[in-house]
Amino acid sequence: MRHNFIDRYAALESPLHILEPRSKLLAFTALIVGVLSIPVDRGSLFFVYFFATAVLMGISQIPLPYIMGRSLVILPFIVLASLAVPWKGFYGIGILFVRAILCLILLILLTNTTRFVELMRGLRKLGCPQILVMNLGFLYRYLFVLTEEAMRMKQARDCRRVGRAPFGEELKILSSMLGTLLIRSFERAERMHSAMLSRGYSGHFPVLSPRRFSWHDLVFLSGITLFIVLTVLLR
Amino acid sequence: MTDYAVRITRLSYTYPDGTKALEGIDLDVARGERVAIVGPSGAGKSTLLLHLNGVLTGSGSVRILGENLQPSNLHQIRRQVGLLFQDPNDQLFCPTVFEDVAFGPLNLSVPAGEIPRRVEKALGDSGLDYALRSRSSHHLSLGERRRVSLAAVLAMEPAILGMDEPTSNLDPRNRRHLIEVISGLEATLIVATHDLELVLDVCARTILMDRGKIWADGETRSMLSEAGLMEKHGMEVPLSLKSGMRS
Amino acid sequence: MHIPDGFLTNRVAVSLDVVSGANILYAARRARVDFSSRMVPIMGVLGAFVFAAQMLNFPILGGTSGHLVGGCLLSVILGPMAGSLTMATVVLAQALFLQDGGLVALGANIFNISVVTCFSGYAIFKLLGGSAEGGRRLLIAGFVAGWFSLIISSSCCALEMALAGAIPLRVGLATMSGYHALVGIVEGMLTAGVLGFLSKVRPDLMKIDGVGRFGVWDWIGAVLFVALPAAVLAKAGSSGLPDPLEKLLAGSPLLVEAGAGSQKLSSSARYGDYLLRAGVFVLLIGSGVLAKRLARRKRSGP
Repeated sequence: MRHNFIDRYAALESPLHILEPRSKLLAFTALIVGVLSIPVDRGSLFFVYFFATAVLMGISQIPLPYIMGRSLVILPFIVLASLAVPWKGFYGIGILFVRAILCLILLILLTNTTRFVELMRGLRKLGCPQILVMNLGFLYRYLFVLTEEAMRMKQARDCRRVGRAPFGEELKILSSMLGTLLIRSFERAERMHSAMLSRGYSGHFPVLSPRRFSWHDLVFLSGITLFIVLTVLLR
Repeated sequence: MTDYAVRITRLSYTYPDGTKALEGIDLDVARGERVAIVGPSGAGKSTLLLHLNGVLTGSGSVRILGENLQPSNLHQIRRQVGLLFQDPNDQLFCPTVFEDVAFGPLNLSVPAGEIPRRVEKALGDSGLDYALRSRSSHHLSLGERRRVSLAAVLAMEPAILGMDEPTSNLDPRNRRHLIEVISGLEATLIVATHDLELVLDVCARTILMDRGKIWADGETRSMLSEAGLMEKHGMEVPLSLKSGMRS
Repeated sequence: MHIPDGFLTNRVAVSLDVVSGANILYAARRARVDFSSRMVPIMGVLGAFVFAAQMLNFPILGGTSGHLVGGCLLSVILGPMAGSLTMATVVLAQALFLQDGGLVALGANIFNISVVTCFSGYAIFKLLGGSAEGGRRLLIAGFVAGWFSLIISSSCCALEMALAGAIPLRVGLATMSGYHALVGIVEGMLTAGVLGFLSKVRPDLMKIDGVGRFGVWDWIGAVLFVALPAAVLAKAGSSGLPDPLEKLLAGSPLLVEAGAGSQKLSSSARYGDYLLRAGVFVLLIGSGVLAKRLARRKRSGP
């Protein structure tokens, strides 16, 4: 399993990448909220946001095909929504599509210009509960370990298989694979706990101070605020 | 008596499911000593190590640097006793190498300004480049992960170091490198291992454990040369002794 | 299914953000108080387990594939508080790693995939008398709980999107719940299968968290969590609010421009939805209380 699907483009050095994670989290969330609060009769504002998003996309240096590829997640919902065309008409569904894709691209930009570790720190500093961030950290760390184990189990099973077993059998095998993976996860967590205790863990995770605000962030944040204020006024 | 780093008296431990892991262990380790614990799988070596810093608590007494292990002083004890576990994946749970190595010192309330220096020193002592610190451990090889785990323990600057199978699964080069690192450490060492050549290289004293008890305790070379004793407890005389390669 | 941004009215999205946020904060507080320190790594690693398990697709019937959602399974093992916290982490991770599910819609996704599946699954499981003792009762309870958790979760999802007016209720329910009724069979079977496996190999793992178990007062708290903020926001939506807030909340263009038919759908269905949700939880409380009383009677019986 490839390890870099999460932080694949996060190590670039574009103007977006070097910003502090908190400012990015706030700014992109504000932009998404901005898109979502455009009233329907102001279709032209969507173009303004589209333009802004395109600019951000360009600045980020993330390859366009990659962004397009990531945005395919939205496909099933587009399909579902297009079933409603008879009720809503093309304009309504079109607006829906534009909103959704804009928000999605903004999210893609946020998460791909920030290393996951930084993102977590940003969340923590913005007030996300410690336990959630810790769990997120463990999830990130052990995801690869567990998927490797799962793949190995799958390989081992495939080596012992001839043809396709009946559905019931398949399910039984999968249950025991999942069950084994679950138990191994538990045991790993227990050992991890022993290791944490051995290194002085007493219940809470101390945090080090990360990237700090710079003038880049000030410029960026003021730019975004200005933009949003303008779009609100333009209504 | 405070010359002893570790003083274990009549330690017994039974797992929750009823298996007897340790039966009446008596062990004294002096400061600066290097002791190996050898024995077949399931002998209780790892279990014994876990008692050194109170992760497990059995009946009998464990004294570290003169202090009896109690819930109230565990934090202090863990400052002094570092444990290196067998699987690096269990010990590297932070998103980056730096955070893993800094985890121990941070828990010990080392001031934030001190931390980078400690991390750099610990990584250096384990033979790693400081530049590795922002990598995630799942991007590292097993040998590198082993060394990061060691660094994570060394960063706490413990007086006593317990190690569980430090050289297992390492290729010859990484193994040799790790042995060099271990040889250079100043802490009191207690190494549980199957790697008898490592024992011969590093530890002057060896303890033989089997089925939860200690069966022999003495000078490494003479013990490991006793074919009868070794075979009785599921081991073999190491090749370098058999062939007389070690003078 | 993870709802992307833009498919929900802001009103629904924000109200669910509040509900999910409250749930997480409460669970986090309980975690600090109730959970032993070893629960923390367990929750973290099990989050990775669910994420990994969800990525292991297996083929069912020709071309389609399904995967285990895991909410019910987790909450049976960890208790609904820890289970929903772990699942919330998974949903968050999916939004951040895979952009699966939107940012503003995060509350809705956490509600559907974490809160609903965990609490309803746990309730059904306990109601049907499932326990670590194993046997047929465990398998049946596991299956029904798993299946049901998906059904109710997908129905909530369909309801939420119907409120946006984008996807009419009939279409939404038919596709979402219909699809999940089938996939739910797999979820049920896997949940039952894994629980059965655990009861044979490591039954102690199914009882790890005695303190965090759910009591009657917790159920009442759960209803309040869902019904109260939902009711507040529903009320706020209907009355007059200061202008900028109203503008923000009423941002969905579809409610404004949609035809009379769907508008009627939204206004009555909105209250209906909140009532439905509250009703569901009242039902779950009632069943939980009933189950406890029955269990007690059985224990103290002849």
